[in-house]
Amino acid sequence: MTIMQSTAGHRARFKAGMLVALVGVPAVLAAYLTAAGLLHLLPAEMWWQSLAVTDFADPRQLLYRHAFLPRLAISLLAGAALGLTGTLLQQVLRNPLAEPTTVGTNAGATVGLTIATLYAPWILEQGREWVALAGGALSTLAVLALARGRSFSPVAIIMSGLVVSLTCSSASALLMAANREYSEELFIWQSGSLIQNGDAVVLGFAPWLAVAGIAAFLLLRPLRLLDLSDEGAESLGTKPVVMRLAGMTVAVALSSMVVAAVGVISFVALAAPALVRLAGARTLRQRMIWAPLAGATLLWLTDRLVQVLPFASEIPAGVATAFLGAPLLFLLLPKLRTSPDRGGTMLASVRRRSGWTCLLVGLVAMALLLCAALVVGRSATGWHVASAAELADLLPLRAPRIAIAACAGMMLGVVGTLMQRMTGNPMAAPEVLGISGGASLGILLLFIATSDVNRPAMIAAGLVGALVSLAMVSPTGPRQPLAPDRLLLSGVAVATMASAFSAVMLASGDPRLDTLIGWLSGSTYRATAADATIAAVTATALLAIVPLTSRWLEILPLGESASRGLGLGLFRVRVVLLVLISVPTTIATLVIGPLSFVGLMAPHLARMIGLQRALPQLFASAMLGGMMLVSADWAGRMLIFPWQIPAGLLAALVGGPYFMVLMWKGRQ
Amino acid sequence: MVTGACRPRTQLAPLTRRRCLAGLAATSLGLRGDPAHAARPPRIACLEWTSAEMVVSLGIGPVAVADTKGYRDWVAGPALPAGCLDLGSRGEPNLELLLELKPDLITGAYGYGLDEAPFRRIAPLHTVPFYDGTEAPYRQAEIETLKLGSQLGREAEAQRLIQATATAIAQIREQFSQRAKQPLAVVSMFDDRHVRVYGKGSLFQDVLDRLSLTNAWTAPTDSWGFSMLGIEELVAIGEARVISLDPIPPHVKIRIDQSSLWANLPCIKAGNVRTIPPVWPFGGLAAAARFATFLAWA
Repeated sequence: MTIMQSTAGHRARFKAGMLVALVGVPAVLAAYLTAAGLLHLLPAEMWWQSLAVTDFADPRQLLYRHAFLPRLAISLLAGAALGLTGTLLQQVLRNPLAEPTTVGTNAGATVGLTIATLYAPWILEQGREWVALAGGALSTLAVLALARGRSFSPVAIIMSGLVVSLTCSSASALLMAANREYSEELFIWQSGSLIQNGDAVVLGFAPWLAVAGIAAFLLLRPLRLLDLSDEGAESLGTKPVVMRLAGMTVAVALSSMVVAAVGVISFVALAAPALVRLAGARTLRQRMIWAPLAGATLLWLTDRLVQVLPFASEIPAGVATAFLGAPLLFLLLPKLRTSPDRGGTMLASVRRRSGWTCLLVGLVAMALLLCAALVVGRSATGWHVASAAELADLLPLRAPRIAIAACAGMMLGVVGTLMQRMTGNPMAAPEVLGISGGASLGILLLFIATSDVNRPAMIAAGLVGALVSLAMVSPTGPRQPLAPDRLLLSGVAVATMASAFSAVMLASGDPRLDTLIGWLSGSTYRATAADATIAAVTATALLAIVPLTSRWLEILPLGESASRGLGLGLFRVRVVLLVLISVPTTIATLVIGPLSFVGLMAPHLARMIGLQRALPQLFASAMLGGMMLVSADWAGRMLIFPWQIPAGLLAALVGGPYFMVLMWKGRQ
Repeated sequence: MVTGACRPRTQLAPLTRRRCLAGLAATSLGLRGDPAHAARPPRIACLEWTSAEMVVSLGIGPVAVADTKGYRDWVAGPALPAGCLDLGSRGEPNLELLLELKPDLITGAYGYGLDEAPFRRIAPLHTVPFYDGTEAPYRQAEIETLKLGSQLGREAEAQRLIQATATAIAQIREQFSQRAKQPLAVVSMFDDRHVRVYGKGSLFQDVLDRLSLTNAWTAPTDSWGFSMLGIEELVAIGEARVISLDPIPPHVKIRIDQSSLWANLPCIKAGNVRTIPPVWPFGGLAAAARFATFLAWA
């Protein structure tokens, strides 16, 4: 008995020690770097004096008081705010992946600021805060409205958040691509730079953090009850829905303020609470105290490190956090206990249809669409239906684009179905696995490494990136090989790293970025006959092989134990499926970019049509995916002729709201 | 020594290449070498702004240029002709429109990552290799102007443009030699916390050198000749003059003016900031001449 008690006491002390070390070690390092930086700037005996009375004639004192200290302060404040936001969201949504990005707040704030900057800059004369808050609140409200039918269940919120985020971010990307030179400011701001031009931002931000912190601690007790089931919490006299909304409000306001102040700082809101939990903070109170501290030191240290790095241009802290945070998350993944909510399918249809008639109709529709896309176009004088003679000239321009859109769409549709059935998670999509992110990283690194970017080099770099990320994502731990939740989390890590990387590239002002922007937004413009051939071969092979897996796909959604009971060798099945998922995803990413909304949507649409069984759903997803991208590509070439809207962007921009309407109608 | 040894070769190469290209141009464009005898001016489509600026400077109005609105805002001069069509974005010039326009020549710039093959199927493609590290931007602009001139059968115009630009810059240097010379920094501002400052390897640096002016920014730059920095780094240039390129968005300007740091920077406090009209930093000789002229006014 006594032995057991002393072990428990020892363990508690050990846990506390871990927490202190988690915050303390980075803090000591950051403090050392800060002191070194300060000493370089101003002798120590002047620190206090020039804080009280600054002599502006002395440039050193000016930098100390209006650049160094504000930057130091904002790194601590923004880091703490993000730590708190992440903790609140993760508690409220009971989901370790919840952060301002996952629930749509960041994307909403970003699109608000993008629209204001490009079309109504006079609004920004009063400051960015209210625009960011309006955008973030609206998008989060949309997410909540969509999730309302299911009492804001974690899966419903994450799913809606993903759809709303994708729609918002494709809208911002489209606006920025159409206003390329005018978006420089947005590119810089988006990359999350902590550079300050005086103390105005800090002084404006601090009260928000204070109010949010107080509100969060007032909510502590009721929020703690959310650890119980919703029924359990209700029986104790709280209303879980109200508590969730209150927690969300605080989190949304705070993260919108961070976005307005310094842009999107990736990973801190996700990593700080996760680290703190891993270090042993179990109760909500502990997490709400330690996560902001961890977030603050994390961002502080990161920002000091990027200032020591010897680069000609600034590396924004928001990008650096992703680089430090993502590998950290990879290291910690095996230890992270995820508790997925198997809420079943979001958009089950009551109808059940015979698959084969649907597929026949689909085939005819697809053939008609392909012909129309080939023949109908616009010219300098107006609409134009190409004659046979003109087609000879136009075919080399149109055919590869249409072929790539069709093949990539089909592959993504199939892959999305495979992933959703394999993981039992309705938000699974190729993008989430990190394969697209890995391919993006490879290509982005190529852009940095060499000035001569050509197509074969891009393909090679993308393939290497995809394979490396696949190797990283495939966990080798003996206990839970290839567990679906771990896969998703790894995928998020890679995807965040890739998007942070592209943000810093976009902020660099490099004139070659147009290629990159086109590729990131899912354009078929650079399609070649060779690309089309590769895509077609892969798509055909995939469609030929995938029927062989239909039995697995029927069984896997039933859960692990059921699958084992039915004699499925889970490890082998998952490895095979992973290969079937990653190869087509890599090819699709290479030819059409990392924007893969289609992979998420097509399987759901197929199910809503009434195709519940694996094989019909697979083929229907393929056709729906293909048709979505082909029509998006065609419309993108027509709508603002001679300018072109990338197919991936348009698919997301139209498909997103459509999907939202379906979710809205499908709510119970 | 090394540069001395290399110079004859670099001078010889364009000469032979020019003859060769002139022959090619004469056949491919249906011209007889002398533009005065041409049945019609060549129809040229430009995929980006640097080559568009060069084509216009040589006295030819392109039939189409990518992102014409952007050109008018960011390159500004020389002006595009009124009937010039928009080709779409610079990242994705519209191939079907190009096919329909049937230009005699398409011009683009090296390093934009566009695959050349689709354009070559439509018309001959002339690429301007800028910022590839082989020459300083101004010298490269001269070489490329000559090359484009021979491609278009406008050697005389090209020579005149080179001469005129050199003369204009020399005249402005005379003006400056009578004034007190203060180091200056050339910056673009896109938001209220950062500046893009141009240094070694930029066209602006070359023009400053030719004007015998000192660039206050001497720190390393990237391969395009600029650095993106926090505004506090401008402390390093002391009370040097700051030349800021338009356009600056109005709300950014408001936030800059409100900044407690900006207002107290030595170079700002000394009242040494001048805003000049837009100049395309990655442009050719016309951009160089514009820059020198605006500097003289500032």
